[in-house]
Amino acid sequence: MRAILKIALGIIAAIGGFLDIGDLVFTTQAGALFRYDLLWAVVLGVIGIAVYAEMSGRVAAVSGRPVFDVIRMRTGFGMGLLALVASTFVNLLTLAAELGGIAIVLELLFDAPYSMFVFAGAIALVGIVALLPFGGIERVFGYGGLLLFVVVATVFHQNPDWGDVAHGFVPTLDSSTLYLYFVVGVFAAALMPYEVHFYSSGAIEEGWTEQNLKENRLNAILGYGIGGILSVGLVIVSGYLFHPIGVEPSDLGTVALPMQGAFGETGLLLALAGMLFCVGGAAVDSSFAASYNLAQFLGWEWGRYQGPKKAPRFTASWLVFLLLGIAIAESGINPVEITEYSVVFSVVALPLTYLPVLLIAGDRSFMSDYANGRIATFLGWLYFAVIVVLALAAIPLLLATNAGGG
Amino acid sequence: MKGEGEIFVVHRLLDEQICDSDGRRVGRVDDVEIRGNPPRVTALLVGDGLYPRRLPRRLARLARRISGPERWGQNALRIPWEEVDGLSSTVKLRKKAEELGLGMGDDPERWIVRRLPWN
Repeated sequence: MRAILKIALGIIAAIGGFLDIGDLVFTTQAGALFRYDLLWAVVLGVIGIAVYAEMSGRVAAVSGRPVFDVIRMRTGFGMGLLALVASTFVNLLTLAAELGGIAIVLELLFDAPYSMFVFAGAIALVGIVALLPFGGIERVFGYGGLLLFVVVATVFHQNPDWGDVAHGFVPTLDSSTLYLYFVVGVFAAALMPYEVHFYSSGAIEEGWTEQNLKENRLNAILGYGIGGILSVGLVIVSGYLFHPIGVEPSDLGTVALPMQGAFGETGLLLALAGMLFCVGGAAVDSSFAASYNLAQFLGWEWGRYQGPKKAPRFTASWLVFLLLGIAIAESGINPVEITEYSVVFSVVALPLTYLPVLLIAGDRSFMSDYANGRIATFLGWLYFAVIVVLALAAIPLLLATNAGGG
Repeated sequence: MKGEGEIFVVHRLLDEQICDSDGRRVGRVDDVEIRGNPPRVTALLVGDGLYPRRLPRRLARLARRISGPERWGQNALRIPWEEVDGLSSTVKLRKKAEELGLGMGDDPERWIVRRLPWN
């Protein structure tokens, strides 16, 4: 009974921790520009992250290897270093975007300048990470993120034309470059690499073994699956409210407006608080991901469970990454713009981290009886093909659409 | 001719995580020393001084300019094969890291580690 409760709590944390600033920005813009037409791309991305997270969690639990351990083992030093540099670059951009997101939400909730809140938010994060054990950190942000279920309530309150909504789940390819750019963006926002760097390292932090494989599968499928409902909801509420009037959301505050429209002040506060937890959790995850990757690639001692005394280089690198994130967030670049670049560059870096995980997950000499079965092999390679196509298309689309600016 | 052992060395030994007798993570197998006939792995080579030799030639030259030459006993360590206790998901050593000169970057006695705010 206790075991079931523990698993359930883990899944709930995964649901609330699913969204980050990339999802908030891309789903809201996708809804405003194309109404419900991109819902299928959200679903495609959610299945992708569930497949990849399940695989990396299984590899970590069975072989004791997090993602960058696997990368160094499978691709060697040179290619591994390339993957490390690319991943660190996108993780830092993501971290900066999330820190900027925290500051924007705080700016909306309380009345003070943005630049002050970047520091305040970062200091609060250091405090939470220093005081709580690993599992506690995950849960604080995961449970807080559940406040965003106000989005689902808003969908039912708006009561859109359900036929139109259902139609959005059928993949359609529009030849406009802006539409294709948002297909890439919505998909990539669901499949940010830091999520998997963090998830697989978290499995080691929590001491997972073969005993935890069921928990891993439920976390990946139910956690990310139900979390994906929030993304779907964000597209719908934005499509319902903004598309008919031609609003193009360019700041994070717009994301919360449909909830205010439906439930007034309460809706707005719930949405903003939920966003704060989601973005805060993602800031923790992406900054940890950067340090996990560096330490694992170089063979350093690592992990929140080791504490700062046993893993000084890991801890120090985390603080350095946080400072770099603050510096980028304070540089005066609009956080929504940083978000778009971090999401698009992420999909370019993704094949480098995805392929080694796929290879090890299918390798019986590492995984024995827990290697990829038929379904995981099929889905794994299918998604690898999708990722490679989108990675090749991402940069040209970014340039052609002027980062979605038209 | 490629022997079975050679394939194994690249597949399971090179780049593997090294842990000392206390289970501390203390580095990775950055290179492998192979000697004799028939060839045998005689030592693991560990240290950031070895990184340049793992890179393509042009990058290696640049990396060597940054890291300096290989200085044995400092940025390049030789761990005799006899010190290896076993292989599982890591290379496990028979001794503590300090006795082999490994894991110095996380050593609490090092001045830079000692000056970190939480120490």
